[in-house]
Amino acid sequence: MERLRQDDPARIGEFTTLARLDADGSRGVPERRYLARSADGGHTVLAFLPSPGGDPARWAAEAQQAARLTQPGFWPVGQLGGTPAFPWHSSPYRPALPLPAVLAAYGGPLPEALVRTLGGTLAEALASAHVLGIVHGGVCPAGVLLTACGPLLSCFGATRATPPAGASPAQATGLETGCLAPELAAGGPVDRAADVYALGAVLAYAATGHTVPERQEIPAGLRDVITVCRSRDPQGRPEPARVLAELLPGAAYGALTGSTEPVPLPGRVVEALSRQSAEVLAAALPTQGH
Amino acid sequence: MISPLLHDDPHTVGPFRILARLGGGGMGTVYLARSAGGRTVAVKTLHTRLAADTTLRTRFRLETDAARVIGSDHGAVVVDADPQAPTPWLATEYVLGPPLDAAVEASGPLPEPAVRALGAALAAGLEQLHRSEVVHRDLKPSNILVTAQGPRIIDFGIARAFGDEHLTSVGSAVGTPAFMSPEQAAGLEHAAAGDVFALAGVLVFAATGVGPFGGGAPTDLLYRVRFGEPDLGGVPESLRPLLVRCLAKDPAHRPSTTELRTALGGAGVTPGDRGGFADLLPDAVLREIARRSDQVWHQPPHRLPPPVPTEAPRSETAAAPGVSRRRLLTVAGGALLGGGLLGGGGWALFAGTGDDGGGGTKKDAVDRPKPPAQLWSTTIRCPDAGGEVMRAGRNLVVRAGIVLCGINAESGKGTWQANIAETWRSATDGTRVYALRGYTEDAAALAVCEVSQANGELGKPLVELSAFTGKSQYNQLLCVADGIAYLVARAASGGRWYLVAADLKSGKERWRSRVEGPQSQGFPPVLSGAVAGSQVVLCGAPSEGSKFIGLSAHDKDHGRKLWEMSETFAGTNPPSQLVLDDRNLYLGAENLTARRLSDGGLEWLLDNKPDDGAGEERRYGAPTLHDGVLYCAKADEGLIAVDALSGTLNWQEKGLSGRKNNRDVAPAIGKRYAYCVDDKGLRAIDLRARKAVWTYEAEPLVLTADAKGGHLYVRQEKRTLALPLA
Repeated sequence: MERLRQDDPARIGEFTTLARLDADGSRGVPERRYLARSADGGHTVLAFLPSPGGDPARWAAEAQQAARLTQPGFWPVGQLGGTPAFPWHSSPYRPALPLPAVLAAYGGPLPEALVRTLGGTLAEALASAHVLGIVHGGVCPAGVLLTACGPLLSCFGATRATPPAGASPAQATGLETGCLAPELAAGGPVDRAADVYALGAVLAYAATGHTVPERQEIPAGLRDVITVCRSRDPQGRPEPARVLAELLPGAAYGALTGSTEPVPLPGRVVEALSRQSAEVLAAALPTQGH
Repeated sequence: MISPLLHDDPHTVGPFRILARLGGGGMGTVYLARSAGGRTVAVKTLHTRLAADTTLRTRFRLETDAARVIGSDHGAVVVDADPQAPTPWLATEYVLGPPLDAAVEASGPLPEPAVRALGAALAAGLEQLHRSEVVHRDLKPSNILVTAQGPRIIDFGIARAFGDEHLTSVGSAVGTPAFMSPEQAAGLEHAAAGDVFALAGVLVFAATGVGPFGGGAPTDLLYRVRFGEPDLGGVPESLRPLLVRCLAKDPAHRPSTTELRTALGGAGVTPGDRGGFADLLPDAVLREIARRSDQVWHQPPHRLPPPVPTEAPRSETAAAPGVSRRRLLTVAGGALLGGGLLGGGGWALFAGTGDDGGGGTKKDAVDRPKPPAQLWSTTIRCPDAGGEVMRAGRNLVVRAGIVLCGINAESGKGTWQANIAETWRSATDGTRVYALRGYTEDAAALAVCEVSQANGELGKPLVELSAFTGKSQYNQLLCVADGIAYLVARAASGGRWYLVAADLKSGKERWRSRVEGPQSQGFPPVLSGAVAGSQVVLCGAPSEGSKFIGLSAHDKDHGRKLWEMSETFAGTNPPSQLVLDDRNLYLGAENLTARRLSDGGLEWLLDNKPDDGAGEERRYGAPTLHDGVLYCAKADEGLIAVDALSGTLNWQEKGLSGRKNNRDVAPAIGKRYAYCVDDKGLRAIDLRARKAVWTYEAEPLVLTADAKGGHLYVRQEKRTLALPLA
């Protein structure tokens, strides 16, 4: 739970904002994310707003699209609200850490075994979406929200919600540049191969702490899979199912996403997750007694 | 862990709303609860019947004091307490971690660094307590919660201040034998050094999975605690000398908590290192902590129903006081016959042949009820939507595709017909029948007319709206309430669609508000609309191939849109009637939900149970509201009755097997029976016995209970019939 700043909204629809999800000064966060609560105290939500540089209407259209999906491994979009100029969406709160917060809690790049399970779960989520013709279009470190039961992809369509004319998408949306496939810079559409490129960048981030590492920085066991995901040529990138098989050889496809059981996580990461949960449990709306 | 509330658990304790049970025992219950500001807490209560006992009440007050003394680092933060209340209660933070005994059970004995860190933190907690002159006196694994930040000491049930003797008389051993001090086991003074003895026992348990004096009968244990040698065989070598000293029989020979903390903490966690403690814990314990951190945010489980048998069903007992509190409002077209809206006057007519002591009642007719004979039957085709039987004065009005038919309620004979082109172009207010005027070149504007109940002809327009074209087939007359007609219509220029309120008395438009136009071929923009309280509530038609329906509410007086949201909808037939009372809108599909009319927020939800065999199908059937109780079919399990206000399951039909419930047909409710549709026909469920009593062979598409007329109308594809409503 991170403190609100002066320029943060006090209310989002019927919800009162309690805190930010992302730490102050976080880079590469394509959406503004808040913990918020209904006036009767009964409902605590994670609320998402477009980042100030983006196109709110486009963002709202993407959110509307995401609300129609019940894709395993995707952070659900529950309620849509607001106006065209100030759209938002929300879903019931559950403890979740953006990937950068996971690295911060752990104290650096994550161990290879954890990178493999996180990456494998994300690859499976993308694979099951791609099969249906759904392209996520917003895969980035901050878009990965780690829950007790594994990672979920949020920021659906963040790349598509970018005004295409002129400016580089990254500047406008706050998307990490390392997550944008080279063909996008040339004005190409966000497609499945671009999702795989971004997945490679997320894996690189989890394993080294940044999205564009030198090859030798990457742990030897992950070097090949990360490099091939980040091929300049879209044709050269593997299908997500292939990435899953590389990361977790022998894993049963479909077994990772949608888990309702806690996954093994390092102590410091569990500590950060449970601390967030405890802080939100203890938080009370400002004007009332408890 | 979190478990459902029992039927007699309180709804609130002090300022807190009760959500679920965390635990219970002879002395009281611990609940998960939430404050008005949304703070989640654990509330411990002392049973009201025990609160009269001054000793117990004093002990409860001391526990509250002790919990305050230990503070947030080593205990659970005290949020609020009222030891003087009729049911004394103590609210603390909800601590996210398993008790030490459950943790050791999950992971096996803890590694030495974890035992040391645990011991150092517990010693620091006791130190803090003793500094304030409080002794815990019941330290044991189940009173220690293992969080990611360190252990927390809870449950000061028998804690007391130094020298405060009046609570336990000498000789009565209070505490838990396995972790008692010898002096406590002997019924003597258990002071600070006694807590040190207990702490050592806890650490032996953490390191080996067994207490230092083993298990067995309490009397044997008490003897071993007083006179036996502790078993430290499985304890790591380096910890043994320290623990042996702590377990000395003579309190004077045991180290102080400060000494213990220093001795244990050397290799432990550096202060200020947040994740240091968690890093020492085994995976199984971390997973348990993560599970609890996540699970507390799940929708709490539903309150359990009272045990059967119990008092008469709510529909009867709650009728008189319930009606005023949860007054049922005019719904969908203003004139549906369902529910208790029209009161029960006509029922007596049929009850006379039943069991209320009227003449000619035969006992066996009550014991073995049979399906009744039909009163009348008539050939009318039932449309896909809008098939409900409406009342207009003394007559019935039904839709049959492009015509609207008047039927004599007593004989079933047709009296008139009107051509209305589409089912969504007509409505009743309970007395009169209204329809939209058909389009002609010289009458191009949208107009609402009254339909004559003598000959079915449309009268002169009551209101004519020249800003809207009468040409669109998707123009809709949603409902008429209090002399106001609510329409969805296309503007004459620009082609935009509006929700329009038109005053039928003055003939003037009151307001209009933008809405989405038709979403797919063959469907009007809005599936159903109704007026409730100060609002017009709309349920939008789903767009092609989508599982979403839009819900929205507008201010009845000014048309301002109050809220809007989209909701998933499993099943083939989205709701063609809205089920509302003055507080909530009820929908049954994957879940049974109540949404607040005030803001569209979720008031309560009965969720999916993946084991009831419904698979991908619609799980909850279309609901019916009757006297504050919501009735609907659940999967193939049978009918359920749910309190509309709270979402509490009142009861569930018993003994239904081998039937496939038709969940697209809302049940109808009489005085004695609820009527439900399944693959075998129309099933009557006795509201008292909660069991099916007969089945009438039919394939109903719509059921309408007419309490005023004493009829149950059953619409099938080609034939509509009337049965006596009992």
